[in-house]
Amino acid sequence: MKHRALAALALASLALLASACSRPAPTADSAPAAPAATGKLNLYIWSAYLPQDVIDDFTKRTGIAVNVDLYDSNEALLEKLQSGVAGYDLVFPSDYMVRTLITEKLIQPLDHGQLPLLAKHYDPRLLDQKFDPKNRHSVPYVWGTTGLGWNKAKVTATVDSWSVLFDPANKGRILMLDDMREAFAVALKSMGKSLNERDPAVLAQAAEKLKAQKKLVKTYNSGDFANILAAGDVDFAHGYNGQIAEAVAAAPDTLAYILPKEGGTIWLDSVCLTTAAQNVASAYAFLNFIMEPEINARIVNGTHYASANLAAKPLIDPKITADPAIYPSDEVIDRCEFLEDLGELTTKLDEYWTEIKAE
Amino acid sequence: MTGTGGEERPRGRAPYLLALPTWVILGVFFLVPLVLVLVVSFAERGTYGGIKPIENLTTHITSGAFLGNYLRSFDPLYLKIFWRSLWLAVVTTLACLVISYPIAYWIAVLAPARFKNLLLGLVVVPFWTSFLIRTYAWMLILRSEGLVNTVLTSLGLISQPLDLLYHEPAVLLGLIYGELPFMILPLYASLEKLDLSLIDAAQDLGASPVASFFRVTVPMTMPGILAGVVLVFIPSLGQFVVSDLLGGAKSVLVGNLIQNQFSVARNKPFGAALAFELMAVVLLLLLLYAYHARKSGKETLL
Amino acid sequence: MKLRGSEPRSWERRLLGAHSVLVFLFLWAPILVLVAFSFNRGKQTAVWQGFTLDWYEKLLANEQLLAAVKNSLIAATLTTVVATVVGTLVALALGRYRFRGSGFTQVLLYLPIILPEIVIGAALVTFFGVVGWRLSLGTVVLGHIVFSTSYVAIVVRARLSGFDRSLEEAALDLGARPLEVFRRVTLPLIRPGILAGALLVFTLSIDDYVVTSFVAGVGATTLPIQIYSMLKVGVTPEVNAVSTLLLLVTIVLIVAAQRLQQKPTGTGRSS
Repeated sequence: MKHRALAALALASLALLASACSRPAPTADSAPAAPAATGKLNLYIWSAYLPQDVIDDFTKRTGIAVNVDLYDSNEALLEKLQSGVAGYDLVFPSDYMVRTLITEKLIQPLDHGQLPLLAKHYDPRLLDQKFDPKNRHSVPYVWGTTGLGWNKAKVTATVDSWSVLFDPANKGRILMLDDMREAFAVALKSMGKSLNERDPAVLAQAAEKLKAQKKLVKTYNSGDFANILAAGDVDFAHGYNGQIAEAVAAAPDTLAYILPKEGGTIWLDSVCLTTAAQNVASAYAFLNFIMEPEINARIVNGTHYASANLAAKPLIDPKITADPAIYPSDEVIDRCEFLEDLGELTTKLDEYWTEIKAE
Repeated sequence: MTGTGGEERPRGRAPYLLALPTWVILGVFFLVPLVLVLVVSFAERGTYGGIKPIENLTTHITSGAFLGNYLRSFDPLYLKIFWRSLWLAVVTTLACLVISYPIAYWIAVLAPARFKNLLLGLVVVPFWTSFLIRTYAWMLILRSEGLVNTVLTSLGLISQPLDLLYHEPAVLLGLIYGELPFMILPLYASLEKLDLSLIDAAQDLGASPVASFFRVTVPMTMPGILAGVVLVFIPSLGQFVVSDLLGGAKSVLVGNLIQNQFSVARNKPFGAALAFELMAVVLLLLLLYAYHARKSGKETLL
Repeated sequence: MKLRGSEPRSWERRLLGAHSVLVFLFLWAPILVLVAFSFNRGKQTAVWQGFTLDWYEKLLANEQLLAAVKNSLIAATLTTVVATVVGTLVALALGRYRFRGSGFTQVLLYLPIILPEIVIGAALVTFFGVVGWRLSLGTVVLGHIVFSTSYVAIVVRARLSGFDRSLEEAALDLGARPLEVFRRVTLPLIRPGILAGALLVFTLSIDDYVVTSFVAGVGATTLPIQIYSMLKVGVTPEVNAVSTLLLLVTIVLIVAAQRLQQKPTGTGRSS
């Protein structure tokens, strides 16, 4: 049989591959709960959230080797943890996802006795939120808002309201985030409603509003919105503050970012310890490390995202703390809401969103 | 099956041994996982995503609830989306075929033999860079102050910049661009063994170049054409990132629909049902084709 | 071999050549743009702001990005080797034998292409969870093999059809050993198909995002995962820089291979 040798070869390579894959399995099963220092730590985190020199210093001080893997959405994070074979210790979910991860028992309660800096340094306004009462499962990491970037060179009128995104005069000059919940948040806020509105009639109205708006929108985009605004392809961009703040800093004469007077979304990404974590002691060491004001300030300087650590604030580059797009005033924060999981209504919203897009 | 080739080989175990690795890999790592998803497609979404536990299997089946996701997909809204996706995939496939055949012919038949592999490399290497970055580059080329408009304006061909980006033609361009190598390479593999003496013979017998192309060259390379059509049409049916970025995400394709169910909508059962329906439609098309081809005695891949 | 009367007239040849040049330009246009923008000053990637090498400097200091490149190359290479061997073998089975289960095998090969990648990814990660396999770079390679083997099988199968078996028969009748026949007769005949299939697999694997994002585990972040995860904070021209460097290496390798190939006996068209 002339092909037998080849087939055997292929089988052998397969077997090799299979054994290579299954090798780590035993460690996954034998979860040693004893918080002995393992010398390792596996992080699953958003991109550009943790400067390399902070990681290096942590390893230098503790001898713990840090492994960093990246994800691009809260849903991807959820999927990974649900598989039960991911192997990550610390994860960085956003507000509503913290709630989901708690419900699904994918993250474990934190021992606050081991985290003395949390109560000491952190902004009480960002602690004890609905998604995690008393912060039993999460330590705030960085936070931001979703607002409106606009081009001062091309727009003469004052911009202070979401209504510009629904004004027919701005046809073809508008960018909206390609994100169902954020788009509905804009519509609901401009109707004077909560962005977690659950009244079906109001949601239907919001959907109509977004459907009518579609004719005015040049593009829906969640990744490149700041670049598209900076290039002058649109004059109004609905977007997350981080990227727009950077664009504004690069062109302060032409661009601006505001949180419209009706209010908008605030988001807070937290650090959580997975239920399956195998390097618990390392995880606590890391949490305490990043909560130190000096280290925390370096994270903010490196990422340009606001931290909830008040003690770190004086140590942060004043250009960042003075930037209203990154550190908005208390009055602005008061106008913002966290997104909540809407449960069964999510399916209805998804149908509306599909209808809007398929129009 | 191959129509030519003389007597049947003694069968023996050879074909089974040759197919065994595929059966093992796809059986274990594809079919088994697929069954898990198939089961999910008969379930219901839990309140906060996830899958609702089925309390009573008998009532779940007798009440017809297990078909809920499949029934929901027949909403005109979703049918419209499916048609649009199908239409885009057909246009993409045809365009790829028309663009690819001449270049594949040139590389396989006309280009100096020693450069063939180099030329093949030139076809695929662009696709080893990130899809996302390539698409961003297209946005730079097509935007109103982009490369195309700048060149056309400076040549005096247009006075107003053309509105290229965020419309359907941009979507099609992106789709065709992304699928081209999947048409060129199978065509190349088929054209490379083209027996030129048959074309000679046809022309010696008085066939015009056009006639000999359609009567001899095309039939001889039909396996490559079919392979290319399959490898372009099917994946382009599920595409959506291109249309989101170049089309401004102003339409929904089947790919978006399924993706959304697995992400923001967190409705895996519905997403799974949509995926299986898509699968069923495409399989049906393939089987219909195979049946037709076998009946008319043509070369077939199935 | 010398082409005879069928050789297209020169204007036809030129027309086909011109078409090919245009297609190559089309294929490379965005690549040229992305290379140019790897030298662009300023993080805003839409407008040219002046020349700089900063992004290359940043890239070389970016351990995460470099590790992702390494992971991608490892995964793509392993995937290509396994998928090409497995896909070629099954194509041989389908192309030359009638056997029980061939219809099933063909449908089996089409399914991974038909099913949206996200479904394959979600199904696989559920499966790994059920059997308790720790996610790793190995699971990434497995995932890639699952969806790419079919591409090789289909391309090689197409190449095999209409394959003249008499050459093999003759060699066997003359007493050549089966493996020898495969190496000397069959392989040269299907080699272009194998090469085309392998190139497609590498292309699919090196840039796969959807399946990888489901099945990648600790230490297995690949370049596409890295790039997509940058979307939230903005993709920097570092990615253009890394793409440019990879492109450069690829081109050097291809040209070197071309040189090597030309040295020994020039194997022309084998038809």
